[in-house]
Amino acid sequence: MSPEASADASPDAEDANVIGRRRFLRWVSGIGSAVIGILVGVPVIRSFLSPALGKTKPSRWIKVAEDIALIDLGVPVRAGFVQDESDAWVEAQVEEAVWLYTDDGEKFKAYNSHCTHLGCSYGYDKASNTFLCPCHRGQFDVKTGAVLAGPPPRPLDTLPVEIRDSAVFVDYTNFRPGVPQKVSA
Amino acid sequence: MGALRRWLDERIDLASLREELVDRKMPGGLTWWHTLGSATLAVFVVQIVTGVVLAMYYAPSPDHAYDSVRYLEHTVVSGALLRGIHHWGASAMIVLVCAHMVRVFSMGAYKYPREINWLLGVGLLFLVLGFGFTGYLLPWDQKAYWATQVGTNIAGTTPLVGGLLSTLLRGGTQLGAATLTRFYALHVLLFPILLGVFALLHLALVIRQGIAPRTPVLDTEAPRRTSDPAYPAYYRERYARSKGAGVRFWPDIIAKDIVVAAVVVVVLVLLAHFAGAGLEAPADPTDTQYVPRPEWYFLPFFQLLKLVPGSLESAVAVGVPAALAVVLVALPFFDRGSMRSLWHRPVAAGSLGVLLGGVALLFGAALRSAPPPSSVNELGAPLNEMQLAGRTLFKAHSCTSCHALGDLKPDTSSGAIPNAPDLTEVGLRHSAAWMHSFIEDPGRFHPDSKMPTFGPPKLTHQEIEDIAQYLSSLRGKNWATAKPEIQDTFPPPVKRTENP
Repeated sequence: MSPEASADASPDAEDANVIGRRRFLRWVSGIGSAVIGILVGVPVIRSFLSPALGKTKPSRWIKVAEDIALIDLGVPVRAGFVQDESDAWVEAQVEEAVWLYTDDGEKFKAYNSHCTHLGCSYGYDKASNTFLCPCHRGQFDVKTGAVLAGPPPRPLDTLPVEIRDSAVFVDYTNFRPGVPQKVSA
Repeated sequence: MGALRRWLDERIDLASLREELVDRKMPGGLTWWHTLGSATLAVFVVQIVTGVVLAMYYAPSPDHAYDSVRYLEHTVVSGALLRGIHHWGASAMIVLVCAHMVRVFSMGAYKYPREINWLLGVGLLFLVLGFGFTGYLLPWDQKAYWATQVGTNIAGTTPLVGGLLSTLLRGGTQLGAATLTRFYALHVLLFPILLGVFALLHLALVIRQGIAPRTPVLDTEAPRRTSDPAYPAYYRERYARSKGAGVRFWPDIIAKDIVVAAVVVVVLVLLAHFAGAGLEAPADPTDTQYVPRPEWYFLPFFQLLKLVPGSLESAVAVGVPAALAVVLVALPFFDRGSMRSLWHRPVAAGSLGVLLGGVALLFGAALRSAPPPSSVNELGAPLNEMQLAGRTLFKAHSCTSCHALGDLKPDTSSGAIPNAPDLTEVGLRHSAAWMHSFIEDPGRFHPDSKMPTFGPPKLTHQEIEDIAQYLSSLRGKNWATAKPEIQDTFPPPVKRTENP
C-alpha cells in the first residue's frame, strides 16, 4: 500500500489536507489557464482586429487635370486618373475618377465619383443638368452636390481641391456609402 | 447558475458525465512526465487558434505568398508575434510528441491493454511531422523553397514509385504554384481534421482505459507475458488497486498538466517575441548559391544522409523513415513481455539508449558541420544581426542587378540601369546615416539619379536602416585594415509640396 492510500483511510485527514490541497490545485489550474488564455488570446485577438485598429490613411494629393483653362465652365467634367493602391499585400493600380465643376474657372468643386447611396458610379445627365446615378435613380445638383431625388442618404462627397501652377490637385478619399454621415471608408 | 445546471441535468445528465470525465479516479503517484501528452494537446489548440488568424492574412500562390507573410509581419497588429507563436509552436509539438512517446515507451505504457492507443499515437507523430513539412513551404522564402525542393526530391528517390510520389507531392513535375496550394490544402484542411479525429480517439481511449499506472504497480507477481491468459485478470485487479489512492482527475491531476502547459506557452511567447519566425529573401528558383538546410527537427536525418555513400543514399532516405514506421507500428505486438519498468527490460532500454544517442550524435554533427550561418559579407567581413537582415533585403531587392559588389557584376544585357556605382567600398566613402537618406529618396541627392526610391511604403525605415548598416560593412577587399574616409554631402532640406 502506498502512503497516500493509508492516509486516505482516515476521514479526518481527508477533510483537512485533501480539501485544502484541492483548493490550492483548483487555484493553480485557474491561474495557469488564465496565463495561457491571455498570452495566446491577446495576440490572436489583436491580429484579428488589426484592420479595425489601423490608423486612417494619410491624405493623397493627386493631379486630376493639367490645365484649368481647358475645363468647361458651368458643366461638370469627369477627370479620371490612375492611382497606385496597395490592397493589403497586393500592389495594384486602380482607375479612379472625380467630377470637377466650376462656374468661373477659378473656384472648383470636386466630387468623389461614387454615389453616396451604394457606391455606384454616377454620370452627368445633360438634359436635366444634374448628376444621375443609374443604379437607383439618385439625382444630385451639379453645383452643390445636394440630393435632388432618389435614395441617397447624403449629398455627394466633396473633396479638397487646390490649384498649383494651373493644374488641379485633389485630396482623394473614398467614403462609406449608405450612411448619412461623411466618414472615410 | 444552479437552475441552469438542474435544467441541463434533467435533459442531458451532466452529473454522470461529470463523474465520468472530471471526477474519475486516477492511479496515484503520476509523475511530471505524465503531463507531456496534455501539453502537446495544449500546443495543438494554440496552433489551431493562431493558424486560423494566420490563414486570414495568407495567400497561397507564389506571386503573393511571400508578400502576404511580409504584410503579416510588418503591417498586421501583433502579426509578427502571432506568426512567431505558430512557428515555435510547431517545434514545440515535435519536441513534446517525441518526449511523450519516449515516456510511454520507457514506462511500458504501450503494452496490454493500450496497443491501439499506441498505434493512434504513431499516427499522430507522423501527422505532426507532416504538418511541419507542409507548413514549412508556405512562406515561400528561400529556406522554404529549397528545403521543400530537397524534401520532395528525397521522396522521388523511392524505388519504383519515386517519380509518381514526387509528382503527387508537387502537384506536377516542378515545385511551383500547384505545390503551394497542395501543401496549403493539406496543412489547413486535411491534416487538422485527421489530427483532430486521431487526438479525440486517443483521448477517448485514455478516458475509457484509464491512464497507465506507475511501473511498479504492474511489475510484481505478473505472468511473464501479456499474452498469458491469466494476464488480463491480473491486470484488472492491479489496476483497480492502483486507483485506491483517492486521486481524482480534477483538480489533482489536471493542475500539473495546466502548469506544464502554461510554462510551455510562456516559453513559446518568449521565443516568438525575441527570436521571431524569421523570413528570408523571396524564393528564387534560379539561385545557385543557396545552401538549403531543413528545419532543426529534420537535421539528424539530414546528417545521416550526408554520411552514407551516394549509392546507398536513396535506400537510407526512404528506408530509415519506413523502417521507423514499421518498428513503431509493430512494437506493441512483438514486445509482449509483461515487465514495464526499463530496469527489467534490458533490450528495450538498450535500443532506446542507442536510438537517442544516435540521434544526439547526428544532431551534434549536423550543428558542428553547419556552414557559418553566412555571417560574413561578400568580402569576408563579419556581419552583426542588423547587417545580416540588411543583406537579406539587399538580395531580395536585387540591388546587384545594377550595382557591382566584389565579384558580382551586374548583367548589363538584362536592362540594368547603367553607371550604378560599384558598392564594393561604399562603406569607406559614406556613413550609414547618409546611405539611409539616399536609399529613402535618391532624387533628393541627385535629381537625375536613375535609382528607384525605396522610402516607405516600399521599405520601412527599419528595413532601410538594416540595408544601410549592411552597406556600411562593405569596405573593400582589405576591410580589416582599410580606414573609412567619409565624404557625405546632404542636400538642403526641401519643403514637400506634395503634402501641404
